[in-house]
Amino acid sequence: MEIIEKIKTNKSDDNLTEIQKICLNKLQSSPLPNPKSELWRLSNKSKLSNFLDYSVNKKDSKFDLPYSKNSQSTIRLIIGENCQIKLIEKNYSIQQLSEDELQKYIMEQISFFKQNENWSDLLNLSLSCKDNILGLKINGSKIPPIEIFSHASSNSFNAKTLVIFLEKNCDVELLQVNLGKENSSLSQSTFFCLKENSSVNHGVVSYGENRSNLLNSLNVIQQKNSAYNLGSLHFKFNYARFEISIKQSAGNAKTNIKGMQITKKDEQISTYTKIEFNGPNGFLDQINKSLADDKSHAIFEGSIIVPKIAQRTDASQLSRNLLLSNLAQIDTKPQLEIIADDVKCKHGATISQLNEEELFYMRTRGITLTDASKLQLSSYFQEIISFIPISKEKWDLLDKLLNEN
Amino acid sequence: MQSKMKESDPILEVENLSASTNNLPILKGVSLTVYPGEIHAIMGRNGCGKSTLSKIIAGHPSYNITNGDIKFLGENINSLEPEERSQSGIFLGFQYPIEIPGVSNLEFLRVSTNARRKFLNKEELDTFDFEELVKEKLEIVKMDHAFLSRSVNQGFSGGEKKRNEILQMALLEPKIAILDETDSGLDIDALRIVASGIKKISNAQTGIILITHYQRLLDEIKPNYVHVMSDGQIIKTGESDLALELEEKGYEWTDNFIKET
Repeated sequence: MEIIEKIKTNKSDDNLTEIQKICLNKLQSSPLPNPKSELWRLSNKSKLSNFLDYSVNKKDSKFDLPYSKNSQSTIRLIIGENCQIKLIEKNYSIQQLSEDELQKYIMEQISFFKQNENWSDLLNLSLSCKDNILGLKINGSKIPPIEIFSHASSNSFNAKTLVIFLEKNCDVELLQVNLGKENSSLSQSTFFCLKENSSVNHGVVSYGENRSNLLNSLNVIQQKNSAYNLGSLHFKFNYARFEISIKQSAGNAKTNIKGMQITKKDEQISTYTKIEFNGPNGFLDQINKSLADDKSHAIFEGSIIVPKIAQRTDASQLSRNLLLSNLAQIDTKPQLEIIADDVKCKHGATISQLNEEELFYMRTRGITLTDASKLQLSSYFQEIISFIPISKEKWDLLDKLLNEN
Repeated sequence: MQSKMKESDPILEVENLSASTNNLPILKGVSLTVYPGEIHAIMGRNGCGKSTLSKIIAGHPSYNITNGDIKFLGENINSLEPEERSQSGIFLGFQYPIEIPGVSNLEFLRVSTNARRKFLNKEELDTFDFEELVKEKLEIVKMDHAFLSRSVNQGFSGGEKKRNEILQMALLEPKIAILDETDSGLDIDALRIVASGIKKISNAQTGIILITHYQRLLDEIKPNYVHVMSDGQIIKTGESDLALELEEKGYEWTDNFIKET
């Protein structure tokens, strides 16, 4: 069945919002991403088609959080659970965006959408109902850590949307957790707008259960002197795509990205990043790691775009990959598109296997091959994990999940 | 080639050992027996098979034993995994200790020590008890506690890496330690610290094999026997003065022994 037919089947409700109507129209005019486009050519067609096999779930079933709050001050929100928030404290405020503000911002974003690049967002916004869109305006400093959960229930499709405005001079730590239950599909689109001098440590941790799928799209706009730090981890999905689009709207901003995807069995997880510098003195430091085992497939495609206006850009993009099995597959393509002539840009990619000499060294110290491999993998994760704003308790949970077969 | 009558059983017996890697013969019939309390030195030109011998005794998976046996405490260990050899008391000090970024030295040492303790039916140590033990052992090699919080060997100087090896030896309390060019890359002070550490750890029940190019380590730790290796074979064995003679005459002198062999 064609994907658009599945969407139509899912959308029996006539009470569509303006955003949904626009996105659905765009999808109808070109229902599928072009399989020949660079962004979709490696995507497993059958897995993508299965993504919409479940019917849309508008009302979430009761959701058990994977871990308890380690601090009372942590602000925890679950998209789709009627979360109402209005916190106005001495140093900071967190308020929900009004419907008008949300609509205006999303409409503006849609006007820039390109069919292949933003297919995941179009799908998300055509299916995400009002209750599943959370918009926040965050202001101030000394803000307690924020955790935002999105989840897909078993045997259903859930579309969740998050919009965040970080006001001028705001400084925040935000962890987004995307969870897929057994046989589920989660579409998560996030729109982040960092205003001047704001900074965020953003963690994105996504993991699923048996046969769960994820389309995770992250759109970030950085104004001058903003700092965006992203640490991400995706694992345990039958099929997952993490699409990152970051635009330094006037340059003079800093972006740090450390991402990791782990694939096992016959899973396919991919990360696509597009970083655009639209002004001078931009900075990017990006590393993406993949680890592929069994018959799985991990993909990374990254592009850095440096137009003429973006003089004195300093950008680095590295893709490091570890193949754990002869049948696993890794595709990686970091790329630069540079027009400006006064820039410092580098990129690179490596694909390797577990280091035999490291393993032997550990084994000569009495550590079994299994434990030595685990230690080596933990060390491989460490650089990324340490960049994700998570506490030890949460990491213990992740560590357990990562070590499950 | 042991000249003395031994009162106890040997710790290690290498009997006519031949080994290859990628079908290339490296060892061609090496025999060596180490009794408790003995210190053996193995010398020889680069590429003669000294390090390979140490790796094969430790169980490196890249080498195939094509002939001969390695016996440890009377048991044939040819088919044991490296970790089983280590747990039972064989220690290999690496010429180039491996860096393992992201793995804390303290945790690595604790896991290793507990693997050995488990084999010895000793209680495994939790983090606090291990801290106490490691503090005591750090003294032996005069290492700063700060090294424990760093990743294994990462960013360590050559001397610090070698001291970390001896620290591991002190924690694992092996029956036999094979130290592959432990003296390379050490300044005089560091060499003395390392040598003094080795002497403190060794006792009448343990055996040591020192692989070295230089007399200066043997000035600090006097060996009972010196073996000269060439082209995968031990071509001469003597007492400690053989090393002095070798230092004076160079390896060209040993070429005559090859002809005799």
